[in-house]
Amino acid sequence: MSRTTDVIVVGSGLGGLMAALAAARQGREVRIISEGTGCLAIGTGCVDLLGYAPDGASVEDPWAAMAELAPAHPYSLLGAEKVREGLDALTETTARHGLVLRPASRDGKPRNTRVPTIMGTLKPTYLMPDTFEPDDLGKAKRVLVASVMGFRDCRPALVIDQLRRYPDWANKEYFPCLIPTPFDDAHRALNALDLARAAERPGGSEWLIGSLKERAEGCDLVLMPPICGRHAGSPLARELREALGCPVVEMLSIPPGVGGLRIRDALMRELAALGVELVENANVIGAGVAEGKCLSLDISSTGRNYATKARAYVLATGGILGGGVLLEPGRAIERVFGLDLALPADVAEWTEPEIFGSQAVSKVGVRVDDKLRPLDANGALALENVFFAGRSLGAHDPAVEKSGYGVALATGWQAGLAAAELAAAAHNTGEAATGGEQ
Amino acid sequence: MSVRVSPDKCIACTTCVVHCPVARVTPKFLGPRMIGPAYERFRLLGLAEDESLTYCANCKNCDITCPQGVPVSSINMLARAEHCKKHGTSMRDWVLAHGELQAKLLQLIPAALKNFGMLNPVTRKVLDMFGIDKRAPLPAFAPKTFRQMARKVEQPSLPRKVVFFPGCFVDVYDPQTGLDMIWAFNRAGYEVITPEKFGCCGLPMIANGFWQDSRRQAKRNLAEIARWRDQGIPVVTGCPSCALTFRQDLPEFFPDLVEKHGAGVLEDAQDFLLDCVDRGELELEDKAPGDLSLIYHAPCHLRAQGNGLPGLKLLQRLKGVSARNADAGCCGISGSYGFKKEKYDIAQEVGSELFHVVRESGADFATSECGTCRVQIQHGSGKKALHPVSILRARLEGRRPA
Repeated sequence: MSRTTDVIVVGSGLGGLMAALAAARQGREVRIISEGTGCLAIGTGCVDLLGYAPDGASVEDPWAAMAELAPAHPYSLLGAEKVREGLDALTETTARHGLVLRPASRDGKPRNTRVPTIMGTLKPTYLMPDTFEPDDLGKAKRVLVASVMGFRDCRPALVIDQLRRYPDWANKEYFPCLIPTPFDDAHRALNALDLARAAERPGGSEWLIGSLKERAEGCDLVLMPPICGRHAGSPLARELREALGCPVVEMLSIPPGVGGLRIRDALMRELAALGVELVENANVIGAGVAEGKCLSLDISSTGRNYATKARAYVLATGGILGGGVLLEPGRAIERVFGLDLALPADVAEWTEPEIFGSQAVSKVGVRVDDKLRPLDANGALALENVFFAGRSLGAHDPAVEKSGYGVALATGWQAGLAAAELAAAAHNTGEAATGGEQ
Repeated sequence: MSVRVSPDKCIACTTCVVHCPVARVTPKFLGPRMIGPAYERFRLLGLAEDESLTYCANCKNCDITCPQGVPVSSINMLARAEHCKKHGTSMRDWVLAHGELQAKLLQLIPAALKNFGMLNPVTRKVLDMFGIDKRAPLPAFAPKTFRQMARKVEQPSLPRKVVFFPGCFVDVYDPQTGLDMIWAFNRAGYEVITPEKFGCCGLPMIANGFWQDSRRQAKRNLAEIARWRDQGIPVVTGCPSCALTFRQDLPEFFPDLVEKHGAGVLEDAQDFLLDCVDRGELELEDKAPGDLSLIYHAPCHLRAQGNGLPGLKLLQRLKGVSARNADAGCCGISGSYGFKKEKYDIAQEVGSELFHVVRESGADFATSECGTCRVQIQHGSGKKALHPVSILRARLEGRRPA
């Protein structure tokens, strides 16, 4: 594994996969180093761009709202056009594998939609599978809320109670229903993925259609958990809609959310076709750095340490939860290069009393320039062949803004392009950017 | 057992649940998150074991995919050992865990007779009643063990040396792969030492709950590895499961032994050979006539090692060879798991996607580093499966692999 490659991407969440895709599409040789599979595999399958403005106001047009963000926000650093490039790259790729993602639009302008979750809440999001018809949600008068016996995560009665709290949803007529389970003897509590897989087995679509057909009669909308197949391009949702003669919307689920796995599926297939190398279960614990360049990454995996090299690096290592950012008493540091991350000296200021408010600690992350290269504490370029993407970046708060996937895919895509360009330049000058090719 | 793994690193994100091949095919299994870290909290309170613990195949996809670094499979194997200590183990599991010992006991019986004795329909029926599925692809004993054959190989005297850890599968059932390995290392300028002292890595014993037996193996193997390591001679293996056992399981389960003897790292033979190529020690002149297309299966225990897929890379360096990664998940066998009567159907269903990809590939051969993966692929897809180094040898010798 000492072999030098063009671009190493650390992390295989949405940011990492988009970076790898961008670099591979540029013809670069790409290696993904990944500890765990990243949260895309358990996500909902919808892509948030910007759901709430910094003042907490609900955002209808994320593109317009982007202009109001702080200058250090990743979207501000890139600018809307570059964000759009990443978004287009994602939708074009998933569509190639049968999964069409698209935003709702009003007056010809794309906008956010508030999509129901299996908890009966509404969540603003931007891209949705094309089986979602956002207009159907508003127009519907008689709504069947379906779930499956033995599936504890989604309770129709709870969903209905909760949805009624929203003015737009208060005056609909609701019909709760539990369809029979496709499993004879389950020893565990079923999750949405179990059911989505069951629906893809022989007899699965008959089970779904047969159980819902009668119950959906007279309804103009069916809300159900995301169980219409686990694969990108599964035809089940469309078949179901046709058979029932009314719109069917898969509510967003807690993990495993199934939809994210469909996106991951499409991206992984694309990356495999491009020959991207995936090194799994490898933990990047440090780096060799000299004269403002990363020379190698130190990997630790199952009792062995080794170094791996590339001409350019993309770090999509995640935030505090993902392990890219380490919190220590009195300070926060970026894990691989030990970059000092700005946080108030007084720990009491890291958080605020409102638990669902925007916490200072959730905005901690790597500060970067407009090419996504890391900056040091004085704002000077720290490393010239390293690019950061996704949740490891500071100055945004995905939990509050609902911007997680948007930032990940936009910064991932641009970081991948920048790394590819740098690696290509190193190739052309015949010099390995990492100091010594074999 | 003195070792316990803390379950509290688990944040219940369900990533392991998504990627567990057994949970995918049967709802009778609680799934990695529940049977691993979640149930561990009940175990720590002394509550009874959950019956579905035996469904864990120890394939390690939970460990591979966990974003928090929780050793889920280790929690399961420790729990299994504890359970077996209290409630005993079955005769069937003993047989499956001690293949090497049985081979030793039977070594004076000619292979043909042994195989007739073991693999004839009557015995298979008895074994089936005993819990080893009659449809399972039990491998046949080789006429001579690899180590018996290795002694007779006339190696050139070479200044550089490696020590080869064959693993039971190569030693007992598949000596040809071991001989191909010797050939390849000789070709790269390394004399291959195959010590008599090495025994089974202990993984089948760990997976079947025979903790003390596994510890005994570890003691012996670690002492032997230390001897060669101290002389600066690298120890390599072509078997990913053996390598992973030394890298991950032994330090986790028997930290005192690892402290005493030092880490018993086995290097991946394919990675070593690839490095030989990069250093100019091994020339990959593909002399075979005609092109060869291969469908490659990455063993889960190789993916768990965090070193990529060097065996595939090695094959892809050969000019006339096109090797494609099947990328279709676990083959289902997990050592002895897929031989068990109550697991056979699960194992076949786990592997069904891979079998499909292999069959549809139109490739000349399937290839994979792991011996039991190869057995399972052949059984499930009908396509002959070879070790990458066997294919490497055939190409460099200018012939078709066989």
